Amino acid sequence: MRETMTMNMKQAISNVLELMFFLPVQFVENECPVREWLPRSQVYTGATLGFSGPVSGSYYLLIPVAMAKEITANFLGLSEEEVNEAQESDTVKEALNMIGGHMLSLVDKPDGYQLGIPEIISEAGFDMNADTGKKENVIYIEAEGNHLAAGIILN
Amino acid sequence: MAFNVLIVDDSSSMRAVIKKIIKVSGFNVGCFLEAGDGEEALKVLEDEWVDLVLSDINMPNMNGMELISRMSENEMLRSIPVVMVTTEASDEKVTKSKKLGAVGYIKKPFLPEDIKITLSSIMGEEINDERDNDDEYETGDF
Repeated sequence: MRETMTMNMKQAISNVLELMFFLPVQFVENECPVREWLPRSQVYTGATLGFSGPVSGSYYLLIPVAMAKEITANFLGLSEEEVNEAQESDTVKEALNMIGGHMLSLVDKPDGYQLGIPEIISEAGFDMNADTGKKENVIYIEAEGNHLAAGIILN
Repeated sequence: MAFNVLIVDDSSSMRAVIKKIIKVSGFNVGCFLEAGDGEEALKVLEDEWVDLVLSDINMPNMNGMELISRMSENEMLRSIPVVMVTTEASDEKVTKSKKLGAVGYIKKPFLPEDIKITLSSIMGEEINDERDNDDEYETGDF
């Protein structure tokens, strides 16, 4: 199940980030905590999206703020100077919404699942699964020299 | 004949992208109207003339399925073609939305061509026929 979940998540991330945001991604095999994968030298933003059904939990996506600005500009057809913080947040949430929806379309019985509404999480929330004992599947992503992370946390 | 389009999505970025794609596709749009959820969409539909609705499903307050359900119960609104533009593309959702009156289904992530082809199909028949062929439009997605 874990391997299938990881494979589906990678496929969903590739399809969404490359097709909608023109951001080629590479997946990196890693086992380190998410916090160690994200360099301290960069400011990050992130979004989380709950889902419920036969299995319930949440997805998340963590991305450098500078890259959020870039993909927002690509998405909206604006220059980076024209992009504001609200648009960045909205775009990161929508990216995760599409990834989550695409993920659910790849499971065996998608009709039993219900997506929540995506929310922005602060950097303090990036350690959301620390010490909770919940099962987490982390996807380590490299894009244009930046480190991103996505994952699924099962309740 | 220019037509008015209502775009319903809780993401303002997604609304902007859909609007831009329709604009550059060369459709003869009179005005674009926007709503962040189904409730807002119903208010717009009460106040404005709308020829076509593009709606997400997963939204707060009132989702897209509830919106088309409410539209189907209203004599004035049920003839307005609705295209779902959504990440939720399970067979159940597609079938249910079709039963409720949706005439097209575009899955996110999409290519600009997906919107252009679907709208061309619907507008070619529906807009030019002045809204008198409720059951006759088809899209590749159905």
